Amino acid sequence: MSDAIMTPAAVAPSPIRTIAAKDIRDALRDRFVLIVTVFLGIAAVVALLTGAIALRNDVATYDAAKATLLALGKSAGEIKAPEFYPLRLLRGAIEQIEIIGAAISILIGYRAAASERGRQTLALMLTRPMRPWQFVAGKALAGIALLAGGLALVLGMLTAVLHLSSGVGLVPDDLLRIAIVWGVAVAYSACFFLVAFILTLHMRQISHALLAAFAVWLTLVLIAPQVGDTLDPDNQVAGGVFAQLQISKPDQTQIMKGFATFEALRNGIEEASVTKHFERFTFAVLGIKSTYTGMALWPVLVEMTSNLIWIVMTVLGLGALALALPLNPDRLAKA
Amino acid sequence: MSPRWLVARQSALFVLRERTVALLGAMFIVLVLISAWLGWSATATVDGIYQQATVFLKAAGRTVPPNPVFDMSPLFLMRNMSVYVALIGALSAIVIGNRLVCLDRKAGVLPLIGIRPLSQGDYAIGKIAALGALIAGLSIVAAVAATATFLVLPSIQLSLLQWAQLVGFMVVSAVYMAIFGLIGLATGAWSRSETVGLLLPVTAWLALTFILPQLTANLNPTAAINPISALAAPPDIGFFHWTAQILGPFSLADSFKFASARLLDYLPPDISPPSFIPPFLDLLLALVAATALAWRSLTGLAMTQGDYNV
Repeated sequence: MSDAIMTPAAVAPSPIRTIAAKDIRDALRDRFVLIVTVFLGIAAVVALLTGAIALRNDVATYDAAKATLLALGKSAGEIKAPEFYPLRLLRGAIEQIEIIGAAISILIGYRAAASERGRQTLALMLTRPMRPWQFVAGKALAGIALLAGGLALVLGMLTAVLHLSSGVGLVPDDLLRIAIVWGVAVAYSACFFLVAFILTLHMRQISHALLAAFAVWLTLVLIAPQVGDTLDPDNQVAGGVFAQLQISKPDQTQIMKGFATFEALRNGIEEASVTKHFERFTFAVLGIKSTYTGMALWPVLVEMTSNLIWIVMTVLGLGALALALPLNPDRLAKA
Repeated sequence: MSPRWLVARQSALFVLRERTVALLGAMFIVLVLISAWLGWSATATVDGIYQQATVFLKAAGRTVPPNPVFDMSPLFLMRNMSVYVALIGALSAIVIGNRLVCLDRKAGVLPLIGIRPLSQGDYAIGKIAALGALIAGLSIVAAVAATATFLVLPSIQLSLLQWAQLVGFMVVSAVYMAIFGLIGLATGAWSRSETVGLLLPVTAWLALTFILPQLTANLNPTAAINPISALAAPPDIGFFHWTAQILGPFSLADSFKFASARLLDYLPPDISPPSFIPPFLDLLLALVAATALAWRSLTGLAMTQGDYNV
């Protein structure tokens, strides 16, 4: 038997794993993560059910109109049948993850850092035989694992509700798409977790860190997409400006060529936000955006690669920043 | 100088020293200025599209419909302000309300205030007055920015009625922010944890802004942050009729959106708010309820207690 095996360091689990496991146990014990996951789950299921109820109404209206036409001896082809793609019903739920999920990630990131500062245990932990980056990595991994678990619960619940309520049933391709969305949702929410985690670990006052994280959330999740959305000329007139002017799609494209600078600015504002990349990716994969409805998965993924890269680079960049920033002893105590 | 006035003045000055409050306040004011540019830019683009579309329509021998820009009131330029009030204005108000009481608790001055010749009613009035003054200050700055925009743009002339509507919108915005500020004040006073005191009103705000409109009008969250898309008519089915009846009066974000759209002249004629209570009355009732909540929490605050538990 070699000496290396005999040393306690080789027998003991790594500090990263120990800290991560302890944080996960703490989070499960105080039920905070469970409560916020239930809140997100309620918001997402409400979005799914209201969408399903509205769709059912569209189908009933179509059936009634069809029956009327047939009774009059006319062809039912005169009215357009409502299209039904179950995954499109997830639109509202994805938007809830995009907005409320990001806010919850901030709270989990804040608590991951604030718990040690609040208990004044951070300085004590750093006296143990481990490197500061290992402490940060353990905490971050625990937080991201909790987010992954919470999102798996929410998306699992949505899948079950969708499968039971749609009346069509989900096929393996649908489940694969939902699994991909789960992976990207974890990366997206990890961005906000890390923002709050870094700010709370390094700012003088932890309550200020929470507010600063919410200011970042407001800017990236609500304001940047809102500005981009507002500048979309088709959103300025009820029903859409092109629809009101009865302009065909090819003519719309031709007209918009004259507004290339405006469109570039609008797109630039939207692209500055990781939220918009998440939205574009998930809407394409789930076929929520009509351009991608019914399209095979692989071509969609290829087309959406840039959005995926943006999300992954953001989370990796923030992760690297969290590990690289030195822990300041002046910031270790509760403030 | 009365004790109430002293509490109000000292609290407002204390909060104004907070950098995060200043940051959120500054964000709100910058966004108010941006909203004017957004409105102008988007409207000018619609006009440009119309001019180009007429060429296509004439070439195809089709009738040219009227320019949608001509149907728009000049007040329509400020439509984005309603979104920024509902988002960052409300959040700033929550933070202001929370800090007004949280700073006293964290500084440990409650026992000191408790031994002064000052009733808890005076303390509560002072805090509510400080909140009112700070929110009025934010609203006045926003109103000045909006007024300056209308005066600077040469092609825009507002009638006397439209100026009155703009004033009305600023008052409604202040009321909406005050509702959330009072809830922030109340939760900051009664909660045992500083974080919970902040998170409770934020959770309420998230639910009111993004979940209730989905139940009352099948409105997706991103549609809720667009002033035009937010005014879609709910599906004409029993479920939404029931949810509008039951939840409509609590859906304050909906009431604010409809009140703003009416005052800023962009409410489509065929769309009505989900609640059976008119939007202005709904907001006033909510203000009264939030004031009562803040009063109860502040007058019930244990003056022997100092900092939060966690």
